[in-house]
Amino acid sequence: MSAHFLGLLGDWMPQLLVAAGQTLKMAALAYALGAMLGFVIALGELFGGRWIFWLCRVYVEFIRATPTLTQLFLIYFGLPAIGVVLPGFWAAVIALGAHYAAYMAEVYRSGISAVDRGQHEAAQAIGMTRAQTMLHIILPQAVRVILPPMTNFGISLLKDTSVASLIAAPELMMRANDLTSEYYMPMQLYLVTGVMYFVMSYPLSTGMRYLERRAGRSRPVLLEPI
Amino acid sequence: MTDWARTWHLLPYFLSVLWSGTIMTVIVTVGGFVASILLGVLFAALRTGSSRLLNALAHAYVEIFRAVPVLTQLFIIYFGLGAIGIRLSPIPAAVIGFGLNGGAYLTEVFRAGIDAVNKGQTEAALSIGMTKLMALGYIVLPQAIRIVLPSIANFAIGLLKDTSLASAVAAPELSFNAHMLVDETFLSTQIYLLVAGFYLAMSLPLSAVVRMLERRARRSQRA
Repeated sequence: MSAHFLGLLGDWMPQLLVAAGQTLKMAALAYALGAMLGFVIALGELFGGRWIFWLCRVYVEFIRATPTLTQLFLIYFGLPAIGVVLPGFWAAVIALGAHYAAYMAEVYRSGISAVDRGQHEAAQAIGMTRAQTMLHIILPQAVRVILPPMTNFGISLLKDTSVASLIAAPELMMRANDLTSEYYMPMQLYLVTGVMYFVMSYPLSTGMRYLERRAGRSRPVLLEPI
Repeated sequence: MTDWARTWHLLPYFLSVLWSGTIMTVIVTVGGFVASILLGVLFAALRTGSSRLLNALAHAYVEIFRAVPVLTQLFIIYFGLGAIGIRLSPIPAAVIGFGLNGGAYLTEVFRAGIDAVNKGQTEAALSIGMTKLMALGYIVLPQAIRIVLPSIANFAIGLLKDTSLASAVAAPELSFNAHMLVDETFLSTQIYLLVAGFYLAMSLPLSAVVRMLERRARRSQRA
């Protein structure tokens, strides 16, 4: 590595680090939105009436069958047509959150359904309400099934925030694009950016695997949602 | 004219442009899929093989390509390589990018499949005088592929949607053609809804296939 490159790196890094912080913030907000919305959808599918069930199904199927990019563009470029103008950052948070909600809903649903029916019945038999049963009996047991895929979502969400650069939302990839047009050194800049994503997501996935091993379950390969 | 009326008026034009993009999307998806399978099988073989060095190399490949966004990888291949004199056209660049990225995911899938095949199968193959490579190719892989088929089909659906990112390196696929139409007409809502419809029409049949494969896998597991 030449001294020249190290000098440039010194120019780039402060900007890229700020942008990496924005990436983490975007991912965290989208994750929180997805986790909450996904839970509501799962409850709608499990306990809603017929109409709510179908509404949730259509939402999940639509989201899972179309690219994140298309959804992002619909929110960022499409919503202004009906008078809703969002800044890029928030459009990305909403699009990614809404996207992951569909995947998370499926995970919650399968986790909740995996709990034995007898647990519901027993809880009811001792006089618990439905909400109590959910909170004290079902969810604590469902967490074991839900947690590993939910950690996976966090990792892939972190990487998916890079898509937000395509609507010029402030995050790491966007900053790399800006610096590239300023310095015209795409190879160096995108490699540095790649390393920064690696540094953010690799510890997460290693930690997850450690937790899974400790939980003592060798699970079949779980493909991340893409 | 309202936007919707204009959309209706321009619909044949939109559909023909989006259709040609769809063909490119299919080409990129199939190309990326084939490359992913080849790389996945190759690196899974190295991961499960006896050479420590090759195993470590394959492991590094998997970890690196899974921890970096595919968009970054595409930009390294298209803009990065371009700047150091290796100029690729958008379509080959996209196929290579998605192939390398998908190969890392499929390496893990195939490895799990190979691990799931009973060890006795390899031992039996070796005992009748097959080489290790023959045992892998004729005995283990055919059984492993059956096990991982649903995962691979799931991967294909994800890849189909991911190819939309190729629009960022100017590959003239569905999403790229959609941006062009939006630049031309400013009918963003209508055009992106149409695009969503095109992706739906491609991925819903695929996910029906996945469900069928999963049902079949569960049945054969029970048998």
